[in-house]
Amino acid sequence: MKGCDFTVRIGAAAGDGIQSAGEMIMKVMSRSGLYVSTYNGNQSLIRGGHVWFHIHASSRRVYSLGYGIDFLIPLTQLAYDQHYENVNESGAIIYDPSVVKVHDLSQKVKKYEVPLAQIALKYDKRPIMKNTVALGALTAVLGIDFNVLAKSISDQFGRKEPSVAENNIKAAKDGYDTVVAEGGSLVDYDYDYASAKPVLTADYAIALGAVNAGCRFYAAYPMSPASPIVHWMTAHAKKLGLTVFLGEDEISVVNATIGASYAGARAMCATSGGGFSLMQEAIGQAAMTETPLVVVDVMRAGPSTGLPTKTSQGDLNMMLGISHDDFPRAIIAPRNPEESYNVAERAFNIAERYQLPVIILLDFAIGDGGYATVENINTEFSIDRGKLLTSADPELLNGTWFKRFVLTDDYISPRTIPGTEGMMFVAKTDEHDEWGHDLSDVLAGLKEYLPIRERMHEKRMKKLELLAKEMRPPELIGPSVADISIITWGSSANPVREALERLWNEGVSVNSFEFSDLYPINKEEVRKMLASTGKMVMVEANYSGQFEKLLKRELGIDMAAHIRKYNGEPFYPIEIEKGVVGIRKEVHALA
Amino acid sequence: MLEPKMYESDTRPDWCPGCGDFGVLAALKDALIKSGKKPHEVVIVSGIGCSSNLPGYIRAYGFHGLHGRPVPVAVGIKTANPNLTVIATAGDGDEYGIGFNHVVHAARRNDDIKLIVMNNEIYGLTTGQLSPTSRLGQKTKTSPDGSIIYPLKPLPTILGAGGTFIARTFSGDPKHFSWVIQEALNHRGFALIDAISPCVTWHNIYDEVKKLFYKLEDRGYKPDDEHEAYKAMSDPEGIPIGIFYRREDKPSFQERLAEQNLGKWPVHNVSPLPKNTVEELLYEFS
Ligand SMILES: Cc1ncc(C[n+]2csc(CCOP(=O)(O)OP(=O)(O)O)c2C)c(N)n1
Ligand code: SF4
Repeated sequence: MKGCDFTVRIGAAAGDGIQSAGEMIMKVMSRSGLYVSTYNGNQSLIRGGHVWFHIHASSRRVYSLGYGIDFLIPLTQLAYDQHYENVNESGAIIYDPSVVKVHDLSQKVKKYEVPLAQIALKYDKRPIMKNTVALGALTAVLGIDFNVLAKSISDQFGRKEPSVAENNIKAAKDGYDTVVAEGGSLVDYDYDYASAKPVLTADYAIALGAVNAGCRFYAAYPMSPASPIVHWMTAHAKKLGLTVFLGEDEISVVNATIGASYAGARAMCATSGGGFSLMQEAIGQAAMTETPLVVVDVMRAGPSTGLPTKTSQGDLNMMLGISHDDFPRAIIAPRNPEESYNVAERAFNIAERYQLPVIILLDFAIGDGGYATVENINTEFSIDRGKLLTSADPELLNGTWFKRFVLTDDYISPRTIPGTEGMMFVAKTDEHDEWGHDLSDVLAGLKEYLPIRERMHEKRMKKLELLAKEMRPPELIGPSVADISIITWGSSANPVREALERLWNEGVSVNSFEFSDLYPINKEEVRKMLASTGKMVMVEANYSGQFEKLLKRELGIDMAAHIRKYNGEPFYPIEIEKGVVGIRKEVHALA
Repeated sequence: MLEPKMYESDTRPDWCPGCGDFGVLAALKDALIKSGKKPHEVVIVSGIGCSSNLPGYIRAYGFHGLHGRPVPVAVGIKTANPNLTVIATAGDGDEYGIGFNHVVHAARRNDDIKLIVMNNEIYGLTTGQLSPTSRLGQKTKTSPDGSIIYPLKPLPTILGAGGTFIARTFSGDPKHFSWVIQEALNHRGFALIDAISPCVTWHNIYDEVKKLFYKLEDRGYKPDDEHEAYKAMSDPEGIPIGIFYRREDKPSFQERLAEQNLGKWPVHNVSPLPKNTVEELLYEFS
């Protein structure tokens, strides 16, 4: 197979069906054996305005949106005006000359003029099929077998009237033929149609991973960009025997999840920043009652309702400081959909072993961004429920109550679930003794109270020390020694990876350390890993450098520089490349 | 054989002597025993307030959670394991104030949980501030000149929300109280029991209630008509207690889930999906 690596961007007005066009392009690419990475340039709008879909496809694993635009499909003038500057010299543009006036475009860019609207009108009173016509044209330009597109169209419209798919396929074929008549394919890539790859977003991956990890209770209140999780869960609920609870608000959602978990289920809920803000008191309650809890936060740009369809890594500080006073929690930020799938398994195991809240931090860039690959997905899941007693343990009974919060050497008390005979206890969100007796009722004010409060508080907090030992240090990408070391976390690791390859080709000595496990930090291991870095450059998508500050706070590490982005879009590799080159100059100048 | 001592906790209630909540506790234990419920299959969920301390005083499974949130926790428990008997117990501040939204929606869904609201028309634990059921003109710490806010009428509100079992009882009449709870435990779905449970410290209405209350069932009232229920709930003269409304033809939310295979129990049997199912699901994305 001849290697290929290209990007496509299609821009239109909301309501033009760009979402489904994007999904179809994604499928066409992945079914042609390519790896893809996609981004949905949504507006929070149902009709009109400007929306776009970007796809980076390649015969090797891709992580980011790639460099510039190789194939631009502007369905509106606005779409052209927004994106033409990023079209690469060797690229092409597919457009309808009756709709789009092409200006200021390099002569080298190949122009495919296709009467998209006119063709679409052949099959419907309104030209709504123009995006499918454009897909047909794109398929011809790329030299992809038309049947692959036809199949994707039938899959996409399969639930509707058969004539819908049929007409769309005809419209697409007309688009395809127009390009073939104009000279056809611009490229000579070989495609491997036999190795189709699933295209997962992190939202879907988390949903699937959670269910595979034994989650059977899922609760949600809709909020972009976390909603795809509840959509997947409800669509599969019957088949998989899941309970999906759509609560009246996020407060009910998280409390119901805690209730289900207390009752013995593996339960999860997800939301985005605003919903998470509402959940905070209850997350403290989970920590205090030592009820396992897994919550997903799919970050969007804020504060307040911010940019509902745009990305950010700005919620880390909230996760570090959830609710009032100290309590333990784990924070994991998977870097991509594959990792998200497996993080679900770890999240539940950690939540149950340590009986505390585990926060999974995704963001719009990967939550909604599709990646084609399954290579690193390990479908074998191991379930560790921790110290869960299923029958009475006489040593932990005092005749009346079960010593639910017994102090142990590893700070973790055995728990039981309602229905277990003889092992009754009250899960108390008020401070309590080993049995769960309320301290403020009977003891507060008496001197006996002080050491109990101290020990119970320490018991909860010290779980962090134990847990830290199994938290993972960052993954090193590139040579173990380099002049510049990028430190990054979560989804920002993806564009960094792609920039690295270009930087290496340019002879820059650089490597990167990608964090997924953010808190508690495995200090020993992280210190070891970061002992021999070059000048450290932090890359993260927020204004204040939240993870940079965490590393400073926890390990006293100082960055030489940082690259931050907070305009709502994910990093493009070029920005990291330029940033690193600039920083290198400065570093050299200082040396 | 169930005996009263099976429900005895090792902790004595710290309520003020004479607090109405003692009567609620006694009635609840009595009702559970008479209903043949085993302590380990009962979960009592509460919020925060004097009344919400109740789970510690009765030997069953308990979840003493946050102010205003016992209903969603209870719903989560019941949905995860429908074999459990799940009862939420809390105050009027808790259930008619901060957490009222959850009560309305539990009624709408007809969640199979029983909610006992110890209504004392005041905030007890925070030392006597206005509650959503405080009366117009009532003098409290936060209304020294008398409240200028009309009280909420929770019973008709919950009836309007689709409540299928709505009752009121009085902690000064433990027999009646126990009977109402037993009926609620037999009910198919959400039951709201508004329990007049006077706070003797901040708003003592014992004597007044004793004078004014009467039993609906003594007057031949039948709780099967929504319009009659509205009327009975708004008697301006007296304080009716008993079951205002009850209908058994609406399945509970949990029953509906089970009917549609939306939930596989028991929940504690946690296992990964069969490998071929995972692969199938994964390949739905290709
Ligand atoms: C979020 C939150 N707000 C306020 C409080 C303080 N608080 C504790 S109990 C209570 C009111 C209790 O009144 P009620 O529910 O009527 O119960 P009672 O004490 O009268 O039985 C309040 C406001 C709290 N614990 N949490
Ligand atoms: S303050 Fe009122 S409600 Fe609280 S225990 Fe005392 S009498 Fe009961």
